[in-house]
Amino acid sequence: MSNFVELNNVHFAHGERSIYEGLSLTVPKGKTVAVMGPSGIGKTTLLRLIGGQLKPTSGSIKVAGEEVPALSRKPLYELRKRMSMLFQSGALFTDMSVFDNVAFPLREHTNLPETLIRSIVIMKLEAVGLRGARHLMPAELSGGMARRAALARAIALDPDLIMYDEPFAGQDPISMGVIVKLIKSLNDSLGLTSIVVTHDVDEVLSIADYAYIIADKRVVAEGEPKALLSDSTAIVKQFLHGEADGPVAFHYSDDDFATDLLKGAQ
Amino acid sequence: MEMLRRLGKKSLDQVAGIGYALAMLMNALIGKPNPRKSLPLFIHQMYVVGVLSLLIIIVSGLFIGMVLGLQGYTILVDYGAEQSLGPMVALSLLRELGPVVTALLFAGRAGSALTAEIGLMKATEQLSSLEMMAVDPLRRVVAPRFWAGFVSMPLLALIFSAVGIYGGYLVGSGWLGVDEGAFWSVMQSSVDWYDDLLNGVIKSIVFAFVVTWIALYKGYRAVPTSAGISAATTSTVVTASLTILGLDFILTALMFGG
Amino acid sequence: MESRKTQIWVGLFVVLGVLALSFIALRAASGSAATAGETYTLYAKFDNIGSLKVRSPVKVGGVVVGRVSQISLTGEYYEPTVEMEISADYSQFSETSSLSVLTSGLLGEQYLGLQPGFIDDTVGMLEDGDTISDTKSALVLEQLIGQFLFSQGND
Repeated sequence: MSNFVELNNVHFAHGERSIYEGLSLTVPKGKTVAVMGPSGIGKTTLLRLIGGQLKPTSGSIKVAGEEVPALSRKPLYELRKRMSMLFQSGALFTDMSVFDNVAFPLREHTNLPETLIRSIVIMKLEAVGLRGARHLMPAELSGGMARRAALARAIALDPDLIMYDEPFAGQDPISMGVIVKLIKSLNDSLGLTSIVVTHDVDEVLSIADYAYIIADKRVVAEGEPKALLSDSTAIVKQFLHGEADGPVAFHYSDDDFATDLLKGAQ
Repeated sequence: MEMLRRLGKKSLDQVAGIGYALAMLMNALIGKPNPRKSLPLFIHQMYVVGVLSLLIIIVSGLFIGMVLGLQGYTILVDYGAEQSLGPMVALSLLRELGPVVTALLFAGRAGSALTAEIGLMKATEQLSSLEMMAVDPLRRVVAPRFWAGFVSMPLLALIFSAVGIYGGYLVGSGWLGVDEGAFWSVMQSSVDWYDDLLNGVIKSIVFAFVVTWIALYKGYRAVPTSAGISAATTSTVVTASLTILGLDFILTALMFGG
Repeated sequence: MESRKTQIWVGLFVVLGVLALSFIALRAASGSAATAGETYTLYAKFDNIGSLKVRSPVKVGGVVVGRVSQISLTGEYYEPTVEMEISADYSQFSETSSLSVLTSGLLGEQYLGLQPGFIDDTVGMLEDGDTISDTKSALVLEQLIGQFLFSQGND
């Protein structure tokens, strides 16, 4: 079983808006896979589909060999203990200190004595460089620190899979660098499988083993970072090099510009 | 035609809403609770929902009791029946004002807070992140709050009534000079455990269930934006208040109307 | 420490609630003890029950011993029949006891006054389901005035 996550021909619609039409991708065990694409194409939705929070209209989603949409509540919750997700906002519990936030999954899912929990939490906080901030409340943390604290919470149970939702969005260059390094080192030292969903091309391509570009409701390009960067397909070039004009329209579709302007004059 | 369609859609949405609310409550309350983990959560929520509502309940109860004493006296004294002040105050409080006013205050004080808190947890992805951590937010977040509201509101209603009766006594006996012995003994002989006290408690248990349920549901289904949360909070207070008053009429008709 | 304080407060809250309940139950309300425990049923027929109602008290010398549980018309001549639940604590009324519809005060509520009869070897005791035969109906003010005027006219 070399692929930890496997999506095959997934269709998904949010209400009446179709989001995916035939999306397929695989994430090999122990690798870091980047999923890139323009904003608003439902990259977070992809992670929620893998986590079983949303059910696809059709298609198969396999995690660790199990068909996620078909799982009943109990096995789904068992499976979720093996994965964790780093939310864009961090999603720390605002009524608990950083320490309690990191200790939360341990207290929920294990019966470890408090002294052992303390040691584990300290270790995880040390790994993200926040050991000194353990008594702070989430409101007292900066954006970058909150995300690192959330990362410590995400690895508290030593999961097999971590999904990062826009880990670099809205970060200053220093904390961005810190997080890139963290993802890389966690992946190498813990043997994790990682999925990084982002539109920050340079950062993610520096650490990814494999990358997918999603646009137009399906995967439009895939490959190893080096191969992708030298790809000459129009859409890949547009996305990776940030060109305004190309297959991905800059404008939200509407009537012809001239007709729309003239409407006011009528 | 368009109006008819809109009416139809509205009704369907309402029914669907009730269905979602039922499903939410069912999922939150089924399953074996783990006392070691749920009890501290429950106690904490009892503090937030119950203890923090105590002050407003006690102060309102005292004043409403005093006003009842004053108003009742001026009416009853015309008929030379000021000895009936005790039963009048006690019956109004136990049968009506205790359960209803407590429920209204509770919806405003604790219900809106519950909605806003859960709505914010949803907006900041805390509920989602719980789910991804394999912790069911319905059981972890909704269930303890539900039980805390369900248990604390009848207690608050009892405290409200007791304080109100004392307030009526202070005004009636201490200030207006109704004989103290008559005040209590006439009250005692006309207030019945079953008819008045028990029915009042049943009312407040029903209100507790409904108000807490509405508050939690509105928070859980809130649109996760600041406008959505403020709308949900308002909706909690409005829906809960109207439901309380409507249910109160039905319950009163069932209990005392026959 | 935070959670300790919380626990104390919640404990205090619950104690306060229980205190409120017992204050209301003991100081402000009373259970009709007569209908709370075990009861037995008696029947009585009247010509007129006045404004007697279900749950009106049955009193012996002013002490409540039971309550009216049902009022109906029975028999061929549609006689008002009253069913009463009497506390099992007071089960020693003889068959010669009498029952009358009385009024508390000038404008007060009507209740049933039970007058215990004499006891000797020849009379039995009232048991569950028995009917009290010696009854006095309610005084109806209009009839009373009518009788008074009638007797005045005779003089």
